[in-house]
Amino acid sequence: MPFALVTASDSGQRLTALSPAAERLGLTRGMALADARAIHPALQIAHADPRGDERALARLALWCQCLSPYTRPDAPDGVSLDITGCAHLFGGEEGLAELLARRLTHFGLGARLVIAPTIGAAWGLARHGPAPHLIVARMDLAAMLAPLPIAALRLEETTLSAMEKLGLRRIGDLIGKPRAPLAARFGALALRRLDEALGHEEESFRPLNPPTLHRVQCRFAEPIITLEAIEIAIRRLAEDIAAQLETAAKGARRLELRLFRVDGWFESLALATSTPTRDARHIARLLGERLDRIEDRAGFGFEAADLTAPSVENLAARQGDLDMSEQTDNDIAPLLDRLVNRFGASNVTRPLPQQSYLPERASRNACVLKPARSHDWRAHARMVQDGAAFARPLFLFAVPEPVNTLAGVPDGPPTRFEWRRVSHRVINAEGPERIAPEWWRAPLGASRKTRDYYRIEDEAGRRFWLFRDGLYERGGDMPRWFIHGVFA
Amino acid sequence: MKQALDIETLRRRIATQERLTPLRRPIVPMGAATLDAALPAHGLQTGAVHEVQPDTAGDFAAAVGFGACLLARLTQQRPGIALWVTPGHGEAEHGALYPLGLAALGFDPARLVLLRASKPVDVLWALEEGLGHARLAAVFGIFPETARGYDFAASRRLSMRAARLGVTAFILRGRRDEGESTAAETRWSVAALPGDPVADAATPRWRLDLLKARKGLPGRWDVEWDHETLSFRLPAPVADRAPVWKAITPSSRWAQAS
Repeated sequence: MPFALVTASDSGQRLTALSPAAERLGLTRGMALADARAIHPALQIAHADPRGDERALARLALWCQCLSPYTRPDAPDGVSLDITGCAHLFGGEEGLAELLARRLTHFGLGARLVIAPTIGAAWGLARHGPAPHLIVARMDLAAMLAPLPIAALRLEETTLSAMEKLGLRRIGDLIGKPRAPLAARFGALALRRLDEALGHEEESFRPLNPPTLHRVQCRFAEPIITLEAIEIAIRRLAEDIAAQLETAAKGARRLELRLFRVDGWFESLALATSTPTRDARHIARLLGERLDRIEDRAGFGFEAADLTAPSVENLAARQGDLDMSEQTDNDIAPLLDRLVNRFGASNVTRPLPQQSYLPERASRNACVLKPARSHDWRAHARMVQDGAAFARPLFLFAVPEPVNTLAGVPDGPPTRFEWRRVSHRVINAEGPERIAPEWWRAPLGASRKTRDYYRIEDEAGRRFWLFRDGLYERGGDMPRWFIHGVFA
Repeated sequence: MKQALDIETLRRRIATQERLTPLRRPIVPMGAATLDAALPAHGLQTGAVHEVQPDTAGDFAAAVGFGACLLARLTQQRPGIALWVTPGHGEAEHGALYPLGLAALGFDPARLVLLRASKPVDVLWALEEGLGHARLAAVFGIFPETARGYDFAASRRLSMRAARLGVTAFILRGRRDEGESTAAETRWSVAALPGDPVADAATPRWRLDLLKARKGLPGRWDVEWDHETLSFRLPAPVADRAPVWKAITPSSRWAQAS
């Protein structure tokens, strides 16, 4: 079934990619859809999704990190891997290429694989080379490149058309030509690309993610699916990275585990710790707790895993405890780590005082992962209450709730109020405690009126914290009342 | 002479295997002699589970406040932080725990770690984790009024873990579980009590019902909390209020309830 992807452009809809069947019909890329339909009316089409392609390519580049830590997507149609020092893990370059080819076929991707000594040569041969699978040695480089079209040199469109006008169609036409005229006519970049492809000039590889210093990985003889097997693998990785960190006298603050699935997907889980750690048992436990329902996502199994520590801090060597079981009792950090790991950093907090008279701003909740100083809450409580004994409520509403009131005297506390459809008769009231707005701060949607707070007790003995929003003024509107908290 | 093993030895053996009270744990006295007299060891047992429940729906803050006062007394004796676990969605209804309000009751918020868990099962998990850490002073768990999740099996697990390292658990449980028996050491029901209009209104007052106390005497008292000395005291009766209930004898229905 001939099939093509089309893109809408200024000059109408044009074909951007073709299936082999469509190519055999004589259709070409860049052809107008109307022309193609004229040749073959039954042509199936779909709209191209360049962003989706980009995302898929990036995902594939990440998956390739199970073969080498340094990979990157080459938009729009390629992925590069720096396999320096990696090939021997897979039975040499042939083994690596064969493994990758097999995997990509399984994913349903047709791919051209080239292993070459330079980035430029690999790029050009993968796109314009004579065979889909090539492994090129350094001594054959010039001979392999010479018959390729100059498009294989990663040059700009204008340079390419200028060269073609002069009859320079193959890379071989450029090799050995006087350099100065070439540089003068086509710019220094053209020569540099040629030198890079031939290996006369170094080119550095910029990988997708910055290389992490602390990384361990393992590959499995058979894809693993069961939770037990994954847990064993994690324990091994944790021990490895702990040993690596121990040697470097570092402790991990962040860790990332990736499990590479045989079908090109990978599961990744990241976690943070409150203090630098290199306790293998602790790391393995934290990771293990995140594995719920991993079996559902294992598919046909995981074939490799790696564990990295993207963020580390110095951690001096420490003498191990004689009794390992007492280890966790020394410090609550492991407990906090596990709580954060399970409930998320925003749900495990420590209250910190904040310099403000406004009740809702006088304290804030900070993540326990951040280092905390000890704070003097007594002094803070005295500060916000100006030394007077106005106690604060045990529960505070994030947004004060309006109440209907019946006031005895206009400027005093209410004698009765209704909150959440329940009427309360006021037996006892204490106040006002006047809190002025912080005019120097931009209002956060809140009212910027002066508040008069009253402690109010109803007939059942329940105590509430009510405030009048604004002062009584002559001729002004009636200020509204709100409930802001409940006392114990 | 295997048969000669006396009852006391057997009891001790069972106790160590049950791990409920294998060690002598410190006692936290309540500060008021009348209250302490009702408790078997003249105070609250640490390394155990203590339950607090609101008398009516409106007494939620009172019940939490009473629990916070027990926590304040306990942390006076035992170093370490307190882990406070709340169901996240309760904040819209009851408001969020306010650290300055805790400070007003006498508990130092610097020793607090707050955890918001969405489900009762998560609250339980976190409490159990906390009880497994000897460096913690106590855990405080709030179970939502409507959802079930805290039952006999849960309370039994918590008390066994609490007994192991001596960390105390305070549980705020909903009223609907009232009929259910649990493995808790004590269970208190708390109701708000109108304050003495002459006295300092910042002093909280509650009507306490000790619904259950292992080896103790249930009873009912009106108490005041003194946030300066961190102790409970029985207020002097006020003329324009109903008479104060007396602690009652074990033959009454309160004793049978345990």
